[in-house]
Amino acid sequence: MENTLMDKYAAGFGISLVVTSFLNAVILIIKEKNDAVMGAMKTALGHHWTTHGAIIIVMFLALGFIFSGMKLETKFDYRQMLKYTVWAVIISCVIIAGFFLPNLKLAGVMKY
Amino acid sequence: MFIQGVMMTHVALGVLGILFAVALFVDVLNVNEGNIERIKKLSLVVAVLIFLAYLIGGYWYVVYYGHDRDIIKAGQWPWAHNFFMEVKEHIFFAVLLLAIYLPIAVYGKIPLTEKPKRSLVLGIAALIVILGFFMEGAGGIISKGVTMGLMGR
Repeated sequence: MENTLMDKYAAGFGISLVVTSFLNAVILIIKEKNDAVMGAMKTALGHHWTTHGAIIIVMFLALGFIFSGMKLETKFDYRQMLKYTVWAVIISCVIIAGFFLPNLKLAGVMKY
Repeated sequence: MFIQGVMMTHVALGVLGILFAVALFVDVLNVNEGNIERIKKLSLVVAVLIFLAYLIGGYWYVVYYGHDRDIIKAGQWPWAHNFFMEVKEHIFFAVLLLAIYLPIAVYGKIPLTEKPKRSLVLGIAALIVILGFFMEGAGGIISKGVTMGLMGR
C-alpha cells in the first residue's frame, strides 16, 4: 500500500483552491482593464459576474479532479496545504481589495 | 416584497453558513469519535448554505441590483458601491470555493483526529467565518449607501 501524506481529493482540490483563488484575482484585473474582455464576459452569460463565477467554479472542479489524479497526496502534507490555501486566499483578497482601494476616498468617508 | 424576500434570504443563508462554520470550528477543536459524524454533516451544511447564498444573492445582484447601484453612485456614499460592492462580489468567490472545499477536507480516509488534518479544517473554517463577517459588514454598508442616496434626493 502506497504511503500518502494526505487524502487524495483533499490534496487535489486544495491545490485547485490555491490556483483558482489567484485566477479569481487575475480575471478581475483583466476584465476591469480590458473593455473587450469585459464585453465578451457580459455577452457570454448575460452579466460579467455570472461568467466570472461560472469560470471560477468550473475551473475549481475541473482542476480539482485533474490534480486528484496526479498523486499530489504523496507530495503535499496537511501542514503545507494549510499554509498554501490560507496564503492564497489572503493574497488574492488583498489584490482584489487593493485593486478597488482608489475608489475608497478616505476624505469622503471621513466626512460622515 | 419579492425583491426584499430574495435579499433577506441571501443574508439569512450567509449568516447561517457563518454560524454553522463556527459550530464546526468548535466541534473540530474538541474532535473525538463521538462528534466526527456531526462534523461531517456540518461541513456539508456549510457548503450547501453558502452555495445557496451565492445562487440567491447572485440572482438578486444580476436582476435587481442595477437600480440600487444607480442610487448609491448618485448619492453621498458612492464608495459603498465603488469599493464595498465591487470587493464583496469578487471575494464572495473565495468564500464559495472555501465552502465547497470544506467537506472535501473533512471527509477522507485519514481520520480527523490527526492534528495536521484538523489544522487544515480549522484554517478553512476560520477563513469562511472571517470573510463571511466581511460579507455581512459590506452588505450593511451597501444597504446604508442606498439610504444615503435616497436621503439626498
